[in-house]
Amino acid sequence: MSDNLEQTFVQQLRENQNIIHKICRLYTSDGDAHKDLFQEITIQLWKAFPKFRGDAKFSTWAYRVALNTAITLYRKSTRSVSTVEYEKHSFFISQDEYNSEEEDQIKLMYQAVHQLNDIEKALVFMYLEDKDYTEIAETLGISEVNARVKMNRIKGKLKKILNP
Amino acid sequence: MMEELDLLKKDWKKNENSFEQVSEVDIYKMLHKKSSSIVKWILIISILEVLLWTGISFLYNSDEYFIKTHSEYLIEYFKYLTIFNYVIVAVFIYMFYKNYRAISTITSTKQLMKDILKTRKIVRYYVWYNLGMMVVSMIIGFILVFTVDPKLHELTSKANAMVFMIAFCTVCILVFVGLFWLFYRLIYGILLRKLFRNYNELKKIDL
Repeated sequence: MSDNLEQTFVQQLRENQNIIHKICRLYTSDGDAHKDLFQEITIQLWKAFPKFRGDAKFSTWAYRVALNTAITLYRKSTRSVSTVEYEKHSFFISQDEYNSEEEDQIKLMYQAVHQLNDIEKALVFMYLEDKDYTEIAETLGISEVNARVKMNRIKGKLKKILNP
Repeated sequence: MMEELDLLKKDWKKNENSFEQVSEVDIYKMLHKKSSSIVKWILIISILEVLLWTGISFLYNSDEYFIKTHSEYLIEYFKYLTIFNYVIVAVFIYMFYKNYRAISTITSTKQLMKDILKTRKIVRYYVWYNLGMMVVSMIIGFILVFTVDPKLHELTSKANAMVFMIAFCTVCILVFVGLFWLFYRLIYGILLRKLFRNYNELKKIDL
């Protein structure tokens, strides 16, 4: 592949890298795993890049490849190991902007999300990213109605995890 | 509950730009690293399987045996069988390549999983074909040997020896197929466990 293509890709990826970081944050539980998944997603994006057409947004396209890599292609289990490890690496709340009750709640929410399975995490991820149900359904390959139903079930499941 | 998930969203958005940024130089480096994706592992294992089975099926040369037992006419039949086998290998490699190329990360998650499993299935069919061929040739060979080989011909007159030979061959085949099946389950059990788990999860949503 030409150097020009490589240059374009690297630049686009650097600008959009937070998408990948966010997925790694949900699917891994420590710094090393985060880096490892980040690298695999980068490789898969690069492999798929020749098929990327300019008419779509790089970020929209990257969402799909990155999620597919995390859920399907990545060989290591992406289930979180322990919540302690998770807090240490990817929980970063600045003390001054939250009252402590809210802060505790957020902390618990993150822990609960980490207990979900890979598919549920994908739905939560797209929900947090403000994707509409049409896009969520298309990305996962399920029907829009069922995507909504599933999202409601996940909310119920999270509630159960938080209030056992 | 809604409130809590939206509280999470607020935090999620606030921390959107708080990740340690990877430099362009590091991204360049990553591009030249090797992928360790499940698709790559499936490709490597599949190539090994095809080499192994194709090797086994072409390794064994029965011509010498036929000449020794003065049954050269059988060589002709086996030649057709060999040609048939070549055709099957060619068709298989084409099918595998076609399906492998179709695996794409830009399709939906469900389609991607389906494509990966389909590619796997083709290799599995090929392995079953080879196992089947092996059992069939064992049986044919067994019958031929008894009708052609004069030394064994004598043996067939003794009923006990005949029963023993058939039982022995059956056990051999069963043990062989059993071991193979176990090995298979182990490799793909480990490799595809996550994929199956997530695929079933996706299928459940649309039930």
